[in-house]
Amino acid sequence: MWKSLYSLFKKDCRITASGKFFLVTLGSLLLYTLFIHFGYLNFMADNTDTCRVYLYDPAETLGQVSPLIHSVASMEELDEALARDTSGGVGICITDNEPNVVLYAGTEKFDRCRTDYALSLLHPGSEYIPETVGDNSPEMKQRKEITCELLFIEVVAIGFLGIASVLFKEKQMGVIRVHAVMPFPKNLFIFSKIFLFLLTDLIFAALITLFNVGPAEAGSILPAILIQTVILSLIMILTGFGCAMLLKDFKQFSLLYLVISLFTTVPVFLSANPAIKTDWILYHPFFHVYTKLKNAFFGIPVTSPVYYICATCIIFLLFGITTAAFRKEMGKEG
Amino acid sequence: MKGLIYQLKSVRKDKFCIMSFLLPIAIAIMLNIAGSIDLSSSGEYDFCVVEGNITAETQTWLTKYGNVTICQTKEEWLLAIKEPSTNRIGVEADGKGIRTVLSGDEATIWRQTASTLPVLYEQRELLSEIPIRILEQPDMPTGFPYILMAVTLIVAMFMGCTFNAMNILSEKENGVALINEILPMTSGQYVIQKIFIGFVFGCLSAVVTATICFRLSPVGAAAMLALTILSAFVAALIGLFVGHISDGLMAGIVYIKVIMIVFMTVPLLKYLVPAENNVLSYICYLIPSSATFEGIMELVNGSTATAAKDMVILGVHCVGWSLLYVFFKQKKGKQRAAIK
Repeated sequence: MWKSLYSLFKKDCRITASGKFFLVTLGSLLLYTLFIHFGYLNFMADNTDTCRVYLYDPAETLGQVSPLIHSVASMEELDEALARDTSGGVGICITDNEPNVVLYAGTEKFDRCRTDYALSLLHPGSEYIPETVGDNSPEMKQRKEITCELLFIEVVAIGFLGIASVLFKEKQMGVIRVHAVMPFPKNLFIFSKIFLFLLTDLIFAALITLFNVGPAEAGSILPAILIQTVILSLIMILTGFGCAMLLKDFKQFSLLYLVISLFTTVPVFLSANPAIKTDWILYHPFFHVYTKLKNAFFGIPVTSPVYYICATCIIFLLFGITTAAFRKEMGKEG
Repeated sequence: MKGLIYQLKSVRKDKFCIMSFLLPIAIAIMLNIAGSIDLSSSGEYDFCVVEGNITAETQTWLTKYGNVTICQTKEEWLLAIKEPSTNRIGVEADGKGIRTVLSGDEATIWRQTASTLPVLYEQRELLSEIPIRILEQPDMPTGFPYILMAVTLIVAMFMGCTFNAMNILSEKENGVALINEILPMTSGQYVIQKIFIGFVFGCLSAVVTATICFRLSPVGAAAMLALTILSAFVAALIGLFVGHISDGLMAGIVYIKVIMIVFMTVPLLKYLVPAENNVLSYICYLIPSSATFEGIMELVNGSTATAAKDMVILGVHCVGWSLLYVFFKQKKGKQRAAIK
């Protein structure tokens, strides 16, 4: 049996390589790495600015103010500085010994907070440093977040699209018909493909984590990341296998891929980041897979047995559907 | 004309082509909805407290600045602070005042608030009645949403590439490509028909996407239309190349994926990384979407004049790719004649 599995695996490797699949995956890995190192981090670094405070005090009534305040010489200069400001800056103008606050509108609570912060700088006290309880720096958080998002997108693509490209080629070549009369267990065909794409996904996950999070940090979190990758990868590979068996050609499959990739990624990313919160997202199956993968990146242990039981049940269910679809296809072809 | 009607009919039956046309529009609508729901709330503060640890008065005071999450135990409170998807600031009582706790991975603005909050609490009586003049926020296109919209527009403009490549490949698979060769139609007519389909649909897709995403002045809209026409033409030509070069549908999809990744990442990287090396930035112009992206960003920033440079670059691309295609066809024709 092992010999048969090895020959099937070798054949799958050859077909996948001839479709330039490994090359595209490697290219994606390099592009993502370049994007994270030279694009994303630079862009995000510019966004993390402190709220600037501009003070116009013509009569110089205030004595000691915080060094964080930028003094301006005229009201026009204050308006100009606020218009140019991208940090959510606040202007304070002292008239008749009373401070007046000028700012561009944000949300109500945010405006209140900015205003009070600006006013508190007029009476500087002792500096307070809040206690920190986490292990990540802001840059590391960004690295982990973007790496996790790209890994999620690519695992969805590798498993789903990769297996289909091989299967449709084999359908075309008549491999499934030949396989129906081969003297070894029929499920070996499925196992060899699952093994190949799972391995590709795992190597991709390990490399993207090592390159972008760094070997020192990746060492401790990699096992947890790989476990979550296995779950996501198996779900996508088996879904891809089933769809490839049920659909007529690769074109129809690509259409389905567009729909599935939008369904899997867009709501998940919107909800898993703080921007938009919706209650229905809890019913989205991939939201849970994504949050668990993200937790793995941030070293938060995923211990919920319900999640693992559900994931295992889904994988077995998908395997059952895939096997049935494969046997039906073999019967049709034979 | 008859040929064009036939081409349109073949597109009507091709769901992939229609889908590729509708995809950027769907993304643009989603981005717009996402933008209208909430883009500023990410800047809203989120505090968490342990139940019973702070007074009701302090809790009400905190709601002035942001949302307050109440945790039942200290462990739950620590986990809520560490939660990577949020920037929660933990607040607990400290004698007569308060103290704040952070996970340490927050952006500067959250750290700044966490360090100021105890001081604000001390001065809360002092800060209550100060007049505030709130200015209307100008509609400045900055930040990720606009970059995403520009990328979506690029996808729409360059959809003609996918469109044409898929159309030609499906003709190859169905055998229509072979029939085309014996039809009384010159290769020039065929090329015009094929370019027309990808070009018109790419333009339509981009115009609808741009209308959904951006509000431009009449001059800006005209310049955007010019950018769209030039980009869609280049994309349609590249699609022809992909269609002719690929052996099968799968190879075509691989080529398109690579082209789309390059077309999206190169301009993004060029835009996000400050260009210190001029030579490198000129090399980026070899990818037509670089000029398009730059043009879009300049137009949404209101500088129509600087977008003219990008239009010239795209014009050069149009001429260059057309010549390259003519050269490619001539070479292929010679090869075929030699085989015969």
